[in-house]
Amino acid sequence: MLAACAPLLAACGGGGEQKALRPPCPAGRLCLEYGNSGEPTTLDPQKANASWEFGIVSDFMVGLTDNDAAAKTIPGMATHWEQSPDGLVWTFHLRDGQWSDGTPVTAADFVFGLQRLFDPKTASGQAAQFYAIKNSRAVNGGKLPLSALGVTAPDAHTVRIELEHPWPILADNAAAPPMSPSPRHVVAKWGDAWSQPAHFVGNGPYLPKSWTLGDKVVVEKNPRYFDAAKVCLDRISFYPTTDAVSAERRVKRGELDLNTVVQSNRVNFLRRPDQMPGYVRVYPYVGAVFLTFNLKSVPALRDVRVRQALSMAIDRDFIVNKLFRGGQKPAYSFLPPGMLDYDGRARTYWATWPLERRQAEARRLLAAAGYGPKHPLKLEIRHRNTADPTLYTPAVQADWRSIGVKAQLLSTEVQIAYQSYEAGDFEVADAGWGGGSDAMGFLFLQRSDTGSQNYGGYKNLRYDALLDAADHERDLKRRMAYLGQAEQIVLDDAPIAPVYTIASKNLVNPNVTGWVDNNFDTHKLRFLCFRDAAQRRAGRG
Amino acid sequence: MSAFGPELAPGSRTGAATMRSAAVKGRSLWDDARRRLFRNRAALVSVIVLGLLVVAAIVGPYLTPYPYDQVNKNDVWVGPLSGDHLIGTDSLGRDLLARLLIGLRVSLAVGVVATFVSLVIGVAWGAVAGYVGGRLDELMMRIVDILYSLPFIFFVILLMVTFGRNFILMFVAIGAVEWLTMARIVRGQTLSLKQKEFVEAARAAGVKPAGIVARHIVPNLLGPVVVYVTLTIPAVILAESFLSFLGLGVQEPLTSLGTLISKGAQDMELAPWLLIFPSIVMVVTLMCFNFIGDGLRDAIDPKDR
Repeated sequence: MLAACAPLLAACGGGGEQKALRPPCPAGRLCLEYGNSGEPTTLDPQKANASWEFGIVSDFMVGLTDNDAAAKTIPGMATHWEQSPDGLVWTFHLRDGQWSDGTPVTAADFVFGLQRLFDPKTASGQAAQFYAIKNSRAVNGGKLPLSALGVTAPDAHTVRIELEHPWPILADNAAAPPMSPSPRHVVAKWGDAWSQPAHFVGNGPYLPKSWTLGDKVVVEKNPRYFDAAKVCLDRISFYPTTDAVSAERRVKRGELDLNTVVQSNRVNFLRRPDQMPGYVRVYPYVGAVFLTFNLKSVPALRDVRVRQALSMAIDRDFIVNKLFRGGQKPAYSFLPPGMLDYDGRARTYWATWPLERRQAEARRLLAAAGYGPKHPLKLEIRHRNTADPTLYTPAVQADWRSIGVKAQLLSTEVQIAYQSYEAGDFEVADAGWGGGSDAMGFLFLQRSDTGSQNYGGYKNLRYDALLDAADHERDLKRRMAYLGQAEQIVLDDAPIAPVYTIASKNLVNPNVTGWVDNNFDTHKLRFLCFRDAAQRRAGRG
Repeated sequence: MSAFGPELAPGSRTGAATMRSAAVKGRSLWDDARRRLFRNRAALVSVIVLGLLVVAAIVGPYLTPYPYDQVNKNDVWVGPLSGDHLIGTDSLGRDLLARLLIGLRVSLAVGVVATFVSLVIGVAWGAVAGYVGGRLDELMMRIVDILYSLPFIFFVILLMVTFGRNFILMFVAIGAVEWLTMARIVRGQTLSLKQKEFVEAARAAGVKPAGIVARHIVPNLLGPVVVYVTLTIPAVILAESFLSFLGLGVQEPLTSLGTLISKGAQDMELAPWLLIFPSIVMVVTLMCFNFIGDGLRDAIDPKDR
């Protein structure tokens, strides 16, 4: 028995050198192991609808414009573009480029890509973000054929986009995956299966090589990308690291080179000199976390007094300053700061009240609505099972308990949580939203005609009318006024309870270069490289 | 000098009287077993410690200064012995002592109830299979074999998904998986019991099979069954911890030993007390059950050593 134990003990006492469990990288090549926080449901750029999906697919295609390492807009497939004087027609001029199977990329591929985006059969969750394009809303609703879409190709190198109203940020949004071109010949041949790794054809720096559910997505360099010579990494593997803390340990061991989530209340600990000081990257993000009330299935929540009471009773200062301490800020508005076209002027009417006053008022409102100790309000909060929601929802539960509301928590895996929200299978939903640069990208969520992404089924025709007016307003100051009024309606009606604005938190090995912190937490893969790339290629390090 | 007889003076002790009282007071086998059990030092200590833990689990949560679900906003991650939190607080400022006691209560409750479920199903199944024998026995045991080969966690997840996340359902789910070994043990014991003379006598007297099983077989199974019960309870507590570790167990703010250990393991570097205290309690509880089980087995069947 002792003899058998001896080698075990020797292995334990062997010293600090731990062999990292990285999958082998072919000789002379550079491979990056990327902790991606969630399992994607699709690799199709027009269908991707989550930050962890965008992280993978946004390098499969190059759109009209592209992002540099700091997420600024730069030319993509279009070398230059211009707007008509009234801002309603944009013309993009394309360079020569190829698909990964050698076929040339033409303007018709861009037309096809946008038609796919608004095709009701694609059912893209991102379509509503681009309704500024002429007739897109009608096409997406099935009322007009795809050919009616305001995107045309006068010749093989020119893309003409007509708009419903002036949209200054079209150039920025053209870099996003939903507006990328689609290979017509491939989609025609394979249908929905075209985006599987075996059939995928793209014009971007990387292509999907394999996708093993629950294990990883592997992407490899596309040699036919027009700037392929500058792309450093040969292979990137994306792992669905749902457990932030075990992913953190994998990054520490070198098994992963980076992870896109850090548990908020560990940020200060990781910054200590003896932990992982150079790894923590916290930066403001255009995103927010809020609780959505299901107005369709919970009669109690249809009373605005109940919703306001629930929203005002939450102690956001505790959550942000004591619980998280990870760069978040309390939210008293629907939109986070940092929008390119909006100044964030709306607030809840109780934003400046101290907590005691808010909780007393909440109790009064609930009593007025008929709820009290003899008839307590019972709710279920469904939340994502990741680190931060698991931490703050018990605090919300405790705050609601102090106003007499009995809340149960239901922890759900992230993808399933969002699917449940879209199916209306919840009472109160914890969700995050963000990543875009325009206010409409948030405000559209509460439009009555938005569909499943309006989780709670909020319907206010005056709100819709204000957003329509903003869409058609060319004067930017008047447009901002409409947006402000619309946001104030959301805050007064309280179909959602804002909780906090997100900070992006990434854990990146200091050896990785090209990862630039930015407001949109967008990090294009083609800029990533290793500090010791030369040694790695030679077989060391 | 004086002859033995009933006319002896009352109050005086004679050899006959003492012999009569000695003859009436016998020594049963259970007495023997109890004596052997308490001579086993480890088992004795375990009984006392476990008794204290059970009392703490039942009464403790009512006696702690802080309720287990109260978020103390100024006390996030406070260490042991600071202020009024005896063993510290967790990431939400909730008192760890209160949560530990409620977690112990939940784990023990799950252990006892699930074991009881497995006991009822297992004993019934095993006794019937063993007594009836033949084709029925083979069928019943093959079913046990098939269920044995199912991965436990898959089965529990299936039950929880079908019937929803009911706390009670967790008891049933775990019990429904643990009865298999109980059934096998009971069947084995039944097979040997049914050869005994008293069973033959009962059969000859015309007692129906159901009556024989109920009145002769089952009571004589008590020994091995009791031993196995004390060994199943820790297995069930571990299974419940496993489920909670995976997030399938109790929901917030309720907690169990497994959930406490899982959360404690996450924040190990920042707040080690969150891992240390629940682990100690779990280890001590499981060890107590195991020592008692071992002691009972030695006490009831000394020749099995």
